[in-house]
Amino acid sequence: MNGFLTYVPIILMGVWNTLILSTAGFLLATLLGLLMAFTEVFSPKPISIVTDWVARVLRGIPLLLALLLVFYGLPRLGIALPNIASAIIGITIVDSGYQAQLFRGAIEGVGGRQLEAAYSIGLSKWGAFRHVIAPQAFRAALPGWLNEFTIVLKDSSIAYAIGVTELFTQAVHVAQVVLDYLQPLILVSIVYFSICYPLSIISERARRRLLAMGVAAV
Amino acid sequence: MSFDKLLDLAYSYGGLLFNGLLVSFYLTALSYLIGFTLGVLISIARTYGVRFVKAVCQAFVELTRGTPMLVQLFLIYYVLPRVGLALDPLSAAIIAIGLNSAAYQSEYLRASISSISYSQWEAALSIGLTKLQAVREVILPQSIRVAIPALANELIYLFKYSSIAYFITVPELMYVSKFVGSRTFLYVEIYSIIAVIYVAFSIAATEAFKFIEKRTSIPGLRISTRL
Amino acid sequence: MGAVLEVSNLWKFFGKSPVLRGVSFSVGEGEAKVILGPSGAGKSTLLRCINLLIKPDRGSIILDGEEVTAPGVNAARVRSKIGFVFQHFNLFNHLTALENVMLGLIKVKGMNKDDAFKVARESLLSVGISEDLWNKYPAQLSGGQQQRVAIARAIAMSPRLVLFDEPTSALDPELIWEVLGVMEKLSREGMTMIVVTHELGFAMKVADEVVFMDSGAVVERGSPEEVILRPRNERVRRFMERMQYVYSLK
Repeated sequence: MNGFLTYVPIILMGVWNTLILSTAGFLLATLLGLLMAFTEVFSPKPISIVTDWVARVLRGIPLLLALLLVFYGLPRLGIALPNIASAIIGITIVDSGYQAQLFRGAIEGVGGRQLEAAYSIGLSKWGAFRHVIAPQAFRAALPGWLNEFTIVLKDSSIAYAIGVTELFTQAVHVAQVVLDYLQPLILVSIVYFSICYPLSIISERARRRLLAMGVAAV
Repeated sequence: MSFDKLLDLAYSYGGLLFNGLLVSFYLTALSYLIGFTLGVLISIARTYGVRFVKAVCQAFVELTRGTPMLVQLFLIYYVLPRVGLALDPLSAAIIAIGLNSAAYQSEYLRASISSISYSQWEAALSIGLTKLQAVREVILPQSIRVAIPALANELIYLFKYSSIAYFITVPELMYVSKFVGSRTFLYVEIYSIIAVIYVAFSIAATEAFKFIEKRTSIPGLRISTRL
Repeated sequence: MGAVLEVSNLWKFFGKSPVLRGVSFSVGEGEAKVILGPSGAGKSTLLRCINLLIKPDRGSIILDGEEVTAPGVNAARVRSKIGFVFQHFNLFNHLTALENVMLGLIKVKGMNKDDAFKVARESLLSVGISEDLWNKYPAQLSGGQQQRVAIARAIAMSPRLVLFDEPTSALDPELIWEVLGVMEKLSREGMTMIVVTHELGFAMKVADEVVFMDSGAVVERGSPEEVILRPRNERVRRFMERMQYVYSLK
């Protein structure tokens, strides 16, 4: 042994920052994504088109690039933030584009027939949305939303580029000290896997259950 | 940024950045090909293989999808040399990203194979095709077409993810930008410029694939809408 | 003249419940055999066993003197000698009408493209699919056209025997006749066939023998007149009464 075991707690301390980083970035992206999705579906055409293009631009930026842009860009605007905050902003920016797409697909996937049926029993536009579209769209988006979180969690490792002391960064630092990458990388793999795998199973089950209900998940 | 500065930048570093873009394309294309080839094989093995083969493939797919691409990249670049497999940065990146993509592409294809109804399989056997022929002539052509939107999306993802090769000093677009940034201290400018390149490629590719899809679509073959 | 097909004492279980219970019959050269019976009688399973799409649990199937249920028999080779026409057509969705017919000729019979095209053309014309439809995909054809292409796909392989599994059940009523017409013509030209159907008129006109199946077993057999008009078995008589109510506006 090369003293790796003494470093295990140091690596595992990175879990907290990984969780904070990915959860905060992901939930903020959910808020923004919902906002963009609603705007795309329910606002007048010009606004909807502009929003759609904003989302497409956001989806086109690699996360690594977004992180570096925020990291170098904010100080230029006179804003000094801790690295982890920059990372959260970067994740939020990129992921909100993906979540906008997810929620939009879910809303549109419910389809015109359901809307027709809702109007036919006398519901208003808002009533149709609240009682018919939204409940189905929410369910349809659930599996993809969970899956999106696992993507954000894994990609939060890219915050290593701007020196956030999250799981992957800690592993690399320890690897450089103990001169062995295998053990630290295996250790963090186990951590990532034990969070992502259960979530992906839950997501898959939800997808199947929804399909049995006749709701096609996004 | 003033226009002069931009011109200056283009004059001094334009060639370097262009080379970086080419490396990014190369990296993306090769890893996508690896991912597609292995993805097809894995999806077939997981659908038609014997239990042991299925289990091995499933383990590969789940482990790959459950861990960050960056970890996989580092494993291949820093750990493989210990077993005598030292790879140059570019090869390591191609293999790491290719293997990662294989896991995802196999999942898209597996889903589309299972969406092709059993009756197509029966019909293929009924005219005397062997099982291998039935897969090759009937099941695969249909399932690949059904998976086209997901597979096209994957290519765009890979182009963006190819940027992480930066971490192991592959001279692709991100890495050369960092280099130019460190020489000129114009980090924000240079990163903004390549952001435009990445976004332009993503959007153009999305539109191109939509067009190709429409052109090559076969009436009645339902295509999964995942773009 | 020997039988083309001999089925003897065929059993098939799905789990513990028997779907086929000792079915036996033989089909002679050029014979048209029609199998009638309620749904769930095992007719479809029987056809799939004959084509080796399902493996029977007991009994034997002999095609042209060769026991095809014996272990080690190359199933693909046997299937290439038996045509199968499905209830839902099952045309290959990614291929045009012409390509659907040519696929087996090229990949199974090893023909080159030119020869395969000639055979496919004959075959498509013989079922009344004219040239303007050859490059259409299945989804662009009507149900009747799709089923006729499926018949062309089966007969292009010059099979010893064609199996029809309720070939008109998925068709709109006004399209049924065009498929039945093709089948009748095929029989007159001497094709050996086994047809599972509910079309009593077709059975009356074309069948050399009618076999009535119920609960996985043959309960009555004979000429169409005997089985359809003067059934002896009580279950068969009740079935025919209902069928005649549906079909003959009585």
